Amino acid sequence: MPEVFIDGKRFEYEGEQRLLQFILDNGMEIPFFCYHPSMSAPANCRQCMVKIGQPKKDRETGEFELDENGERKIVWFPKLQTACNTMIADGMVVLTQETDELVERAQKDTLEFILANHPLDCPICDQAGECPLQIQTYKYGPEGSRFEVKKVHKPKRVQLGPRVILDAERCINCTRCVRFTDEISKSHQLTIMQRGDKNYPVTAPGREFDDAYSLNTVDICPVGALTSADFRFKARVWEMNQTPSIDISNGKGCNIDLWTRDNLILRITPRYNEAVNDHWMPDIGREAYKLFNENRVQRPAQKLDDEQINSSWNNAFETLAEKIESTDKKEILFIGSPHASVEENYSLMTLANLLGAKTPVFTTNIIEGYGDGFLLDDDQAPNTNGCRLLGLEEKDAKSLKKEVKSAKLIVLLNDNLIDREVLEAGDLNDKFVAVFATNRTETSKVANILIPVTTAAEHAASYVNVDKRIQRTFPAKETKYTDRRLDIEMSEGRLDRYGTSFDNWVTEDNKVDCIPFWNFVSQLGERLGLKIELRNGREILDEISNKIPAFSGVSYEEMDVQSGISLGGKKETVKS
Amino acid sequence: MSSADWKNYKPVLIPEIKDLHKIDVYEKNGGYEALKQVLTDKKKFDGPKSVIDEVKAANIRGRGGAGFNAGLKWSFMPPADGGPRYLACNGDESEPGTFKDRKIFEYNPHIFIEGALIAAYAMQITSIYVYIRGEYIDYVKMMEKAVQDAYDKGYIGKDILGSGFNVEFHVTYGAGAYICGEETSMLESIEGKRGYPRVKPPFPAQKGLWGRPTTINNIETLSCVPLVIKNGASWFSEIGAKNHPGPILYGISGHVNRPGVYELPSGVPVHDLINEVAGGMRNGKKLKAIIPGGSSTPVLRADQLEGVSMDSDSLREAGSMLGTAGLVVMDEDTDMVDVLWRIAHFYHHESCGQCTPCRDGTGWLEKILLKIKNGDGEVKDLDLLLDITTQMEGRTICALADAAAWPVRHTITRFRDEFEARCKKSVHAMA
Repeated sequence: MPEVFIDGKRFEYEGEQRLLQFILDNGMEIPFFCYHPSMSAPANCRQCMVKIGQPKKDRETGEFELDENGERKIVWFPKLQTACNTMIADGMVVLTQETDELVERAQKDTLEFILANHPLDCPICDQAGECPLQIQTYKYGPEGSRFEVKKVHKPKRVQLGPRVILDAERCINCTRCVRFTDEISKSHQLTIMQRGDKNYPVTAPGREFDDAYSLNTVDICPVGALTSADFRFKARVWEMNQTPSIDISNGKGCNIDLWTRDNLILRITPRYNEAVNDHWMPDIGREAYKLFNENRVQRPAQKLDDEQINSSWNNAFETLAEKIESTDKKEILFIGSPHASVEENYSLMTLANLLGAKTPVFTTNIIEGYGDGFLLDDDQAPNTNGCRLLGLEEKDAKSLKKEVKSAKLIVLLNDNLIDREVLEAGDLNDKFVAVFATNRTETSKVANILIPVTTAAEHAASYVNVDKRIQRTFPAKETKYTDRRLDIEMSEGRLDRYGTSFDNWVTEDNKVDCIPFWNFVSQLGERLGLKIELRNGREILDEISNKIPAFSGVSYEEMDVQSGISLGGKKETVKS
Repeated sequence: MSSADWKNYKPVLIPEIKDLHKIDVYEKNGGYEALKQVLTDKKKFDGPKSVIDEVKAANIRGRGGAGFNAGLKWSFMPPADGGPRYLACNGDESEPGTFKDRKIFEYNPHIFIEGALIAAYAMQITSIYVYIRGEYIDYVKMMEKAVQDAYDKGYIGKDILGSGFNVEFHVTYGAGAYICGEETSMLESIEGKRGYPRVKPPFPAQKGLWGRPTTINNIETLSCVPLVIKNGASWFSEIGAKNHPGPILYGISGHVNRPGVYELPSGVPVHDLINEVAGGMRNGKKLKAIIPGGSSTPVLRADQLEGVSMDSDSLREAGSMLGTAGLVVMDEDTDMVDVLWRIAHFYHHESCGQCTPCRDGTGWLEKILLKIKNGDGEVKDLDLLLDITTQMEGRTICALADAAAWPVRHTITRFRDEFEARCKKSVHAMA
């Protein structure tokens, strides 16, 4: 197998590999800015300089030439090379900043140049705390500055587009954003303007940077030059908790991180998953964070004299139990939801089965032509395939209306059927409608009894995307009834781990009064005399995996190890 | 012809023939004969390879500044595979102190066109692009006319002179960026993109214009080719300096009585060029320094010029380079701080901004030099300048950072006293 020597250590490798990526993959480190694993390597930041040599070979015998100590003779490149665009070759010898003084100095020199015209406004910069320039200056940079002349001034607060704001002075011209629009989103909306230390990225005159993926440039910007118009100045990075999750605003199921502070989701960023979304996500998925914070259904409500008034959990259980008991089971319609998780739909199915009612139905939320072949799919719901694999009955709008007509009691799991024009409010007149909802909508308005349930940000649950890949969420924010310190699924933030009692951040604010749907079903079952034990997502999925062949072998542990599991179907690829 | 015998030299690149830029006049004076020989005289030239061999033997060293053997460069082209192959002719000529190719565009465009066609045949090129700097818009028009005339006469196009050889010829021009004279940056510019130099490898011979094999030659280099074909490699290689033979267009500017472009054999002694060719120093002043080959080549003090001639070996020994043979002459009244600041200003203005050391280094150099020029500098700034040049050299994609750093390094080391005299006196007693 071909070999490469890095800082005196021997590594074997296979296939074509970029040296910088190989070094990173093997747990070593080299500072860099312009390189991004999913894009071309222009080698323009000149930060990842290393010393590279090749062993000398005898032309005739093909044997390595050896020196008097029996070591291979090395022919060094006359200049330092950038690791990012160097392909590894057999026998290559590489010296990094760890072992070579010249390399160490070259990296320091480049950082000195980058910092020369950088405003160093870290205290008010959104990127602070997650800034490669900050981190690498700390690790590899010069101690002080010898730059005693005037810095270059460039435009600040430039609204490049509806969602992205540019501070050209902070820009270090890595061209990642330009390459993103050229190579990934292919909108070609950005280019570098001007020359030398005056250059910065802009759109063509009169054009907006309204790329459907524009906010990815904010993620990959290695400094605070590009910031999100929505998120900027909202929070310091180190105050937030980062929780892995799944984008529930589209069927593609992009892997994301939820960033929380004080039980509010403040932003959503993509999380790397080679099989789904690589490093990217559409802008529209990031705006979905508002669904977790705003306009939430809080505590159960019951309709009296055409008006929904706040009620209690006890009353909700009793009312619904009574209603179910007093209704002919054939006249109960359970409506599942492609917007709800596998576990929630399964809970609904369990309830329906035990009652002897019909199998729950669901209606897809697919907008033909909405998808773009990249990370936006026609399917607007995160779990359409989950409903199908569980065995819910798929109904189009027309046949759903028919079902509704013949039902007396309707139990609807979190699906805004009225706003998305599957049903009309009039269809539900004279019925008793129990709506389980996360947010207030036109559909929640018609509920005779409205019961708040947890969102994907508040429970651990799984979703099956358009490519039949099952992936799961983690609870990112607390509800009235959970405690981040007691819930092992909850991720720990910096403050949880290192905070003192003075800056510990447990707060009672912004906790929504809601419970997971399966908890409601379990308690409802108790009142109905049914044996339902649905305690949490992890156990429910284990049960599903045992009972339904399509889910066999699926568990939270496996999903966490493999970043989601493909349940068959078409091959998943990411366009890039 | 030896260099010392330059007074008897008759110009061949831009000979004194009236209206030579007209194709009829050019033809009457033996024009396009070389092309005819290459394409049709099977006894003399048996296929493209024999042309390359001839040019290689002539040792035409690239006139764009790097001085690489043109024939050898041609031989790097991979074998033809039926796809497009390009010849890109570099007429960007933006280095301060360099103004030689314009003479060819103006006075003898067809010798360049003929040379490019021969090169195209030798390398089995399908399209020729000539890239002329945007400021030369008049010459762009002249070249367009000359190329059209050659098309009309059947020297360019399909089945040239009945040989079955086809080639296209395009005239393109830049928009005023020095960096587009860097060969890979020029390719980007020809493709219609922003002029950013490309990372090498892959070299243009493997992946050039639109990802296809491409050779890049200077205008003057290609203009030498018809001479080599007509007169033979040995005739050419005996002109002037041994290691850098052939006629050279010397662009002489600065404090001399007759600045201008002069065609002479390579290797003419510097003193002869200044005192005899260019008519001596203006106003009888004393010579202080020269920049021998465009602003990026290291400056030489008058006392370093004893016995130095304009060939690559002699200038290397003296501590500089031949570059483009654009000689800038400076007299005793010249303020070297001003000169260096102006050069640094140029490179700061022209850095494309792609690589960090060049983007931020060139600006830093200029700003410190401005400070020194204004009398606010300190002696430590001189050492900082030298430090910055070390940090820039050899750390970038193209050679612009080197071109910006060398003049600073060499001007400061060679005129240190003058720079120190402009700095503020230290408030601390010197140890």
